[in-house]
Amino acid sequence: MTLPLEIQHLKKSYGPVDAVRDVSFEVRPSEIFGLLGPNGAGKTTIISVVTTLEKPSSGVAKVFGEDVCANPMFTKRQLGVVHQEVINSGYFDVEEILEFQSGYYGLRKNTEHIHFLLHKLNLFEHRRKKVKQLSGGMKRRLMIAKALVHNPKLLLLDEPTAGVDISLRETLWDFVRELKKEGMSILLTTHYLEEAEMLCDRVGIINRGKVETMGPTKSIIKDFTQREMILTLNRDITVPKDMLLEKNEHTYRLLVSSGTHVGKVLTDLQVESAMIVDLEIKEGSLEQAFLRVLNTPEKSVKLKETHT
Amino acid sequence: MMSAGFITLFTREIKRFMKVMVQTVVTPFVSSFLYLLVFGVSLGSQVQVHGGVPYLAFLIPGLMMMGLMNNAFQNSSSSIVSSKFSGDLEDIRVAPITNQQIIWAMSLGGVVRGGLVALVTYVVGALFYYFQQGEILLIEHPLALMYFVIMGGLIFGMIGIAVAFWANSFDQLSAFSAFVLLPLTYLGGVFISVESLHPFWQTVAKLNPLLYLINGLRYGVLGVSDVEVSHSVILSMVGFVVFYGVSLWALRKGSFQRW
Repeated sequence: MTLPLEIQHLKKSYGPVDAVRDVSFEVRPSEIFGLLGPNGAGKTTIISVVTTLEKPSSGVAKVFGEDVCANPMFTKRQLGVVHQEVINSGYFDVEEILEFQSGYYGLRKNTEHIHFLLHKLNLFEHRRKKVKQLSGGMKRRLMIAKALVHNPKLLLLDEPTAGVDISLRETLWDFVRELKKEGMSILLTTHYLEEAEMLCDRVGIINRGKVETMGPTKSIIKDFTQREMILTLNRDITVPKDMLLEKNEHTYRLLVSSGTHVGKVLTDLQVESAMIVDLEIKEGSLEQAFLRVLNTPEKSVKLKETHT
Repeated sequence: MMSAGFITLFTREIKRFMKVMVQTVVTPFVSSFLYLLVFGVSLGSQVQVHGGVPYLAFLIPGLMMMGLMNNAFQNSSSSIVSSKFSGDLEDIRVAPITNQQIIWAMSLGGVVRGGLVALVTYVVGALFYYFQQGEILLIEHPLALMYFVIMGGLIFGMIGIAVAFWANSFDQLSAFSAFVLLPLTYLGGVFISVESLHPFWQTVAKLNPLLYLINGLRYGVLGVSDVEVSHSVILSMVGFVVFYGVSLWALRKGSFQRW
């Protein structure tokens, strides 16, 4: 199996500053992999290495099996990139920008696909406008159209929804899901954890240039968060102090580790089914997992990988 | 070389300067007009140049080459610097376009804009010449003219590329124009024949490579030159090779990242 993207022991230093320190991960076919981390964690540097804007200090980045430094012309053709910052191109209008972008990738007559993307991203009626005449949301959509003009197989989304309102964000998420369904592999960097939780099959959390943890999104949540169980009974019970968050009459808010069987918890608390008036379980979020990983880096360094 | 990436980038360069026509073609037209009026027509009657050529005729090819060099330099350098500023230079790096393709597309863009400015200067100059001398200023050696237009445009387009990649601000770009290009152009025989200088200054002037380009083009138009035309041909070839190397080096070492 050729992996769409494979990063092996990547290091990048700027003088004495290590922006990326020994990072390894991969993006598998037709998956959305989320690279999460606080500002300055090294996410954009990794993308810059993949797109050849930066040379790695050491390590390898491979796109569909080819080293980006050794065979850039091949790897660049496979890639579509949505940069973090909006690119301006002051002289040209939307359609011209997309035509040039197609031409850079060897597609001289690409009008049909360009119009398809313009319709898809609700930009068609704005195709004669210059970038500065577009709203923030339109600019973002233009960046995405630009990344897709040449039908790339691997899409790099570097914080594509930064500064985007919630309704557009949802439209973009739907679009990204659609691309995945069509077989595209996607690397998404973001610090909107809700976004990552909804979209990503797997995530890697990086901090200060190092991968702190990596694995399927659900397992990360399971491993690094706890469930909340809200139990309403018809009489009082005794609950260990470390489990109890809150008690309100016969309603108990309990903290339960994600891996634990609900039945076992109830048995341990000597709760019989006839006593239960109501039972609600709240799963932990990726945000909680993320915060836990970043706050306790020493304890949480573990690579959880499911090899396929 | 003739890949779609190259053609697109070259087309983009042409479209870019056509969109700012006033700045790129009309401004040089105005400045040529003024130079020709003030120096060529008014002062020119007082000035003697060698070979019995009227001063106005002597000045026209000088101004053509000056406009060509300036505009070829401006085209590639301002295109790159403004792309650095808006961020779309990153698009070019991320796309599968080689450094050679970038250099050829950018410098040929310079040839087209420089050539256009040279043509405008020639037409305006020929009109002045017709009214002053009563005859049409014919091109003596069209092939030589073509050669120096293309070489001058390519060389200065490539210098523009190298300087734009080196520059970290608009200031540095204009500093290069003001402190290197402008003096070399003015002392390169645009307005004066080096033969009218003191022998010592003649020797100094002949160290200026621009003298050879300017006089090469002058030979193309008028058939006269202050220097051996073969020297101009060889030197422009050397200049082409040197600056091709320099611009390639600048692209390899320089940053495509946004300011």
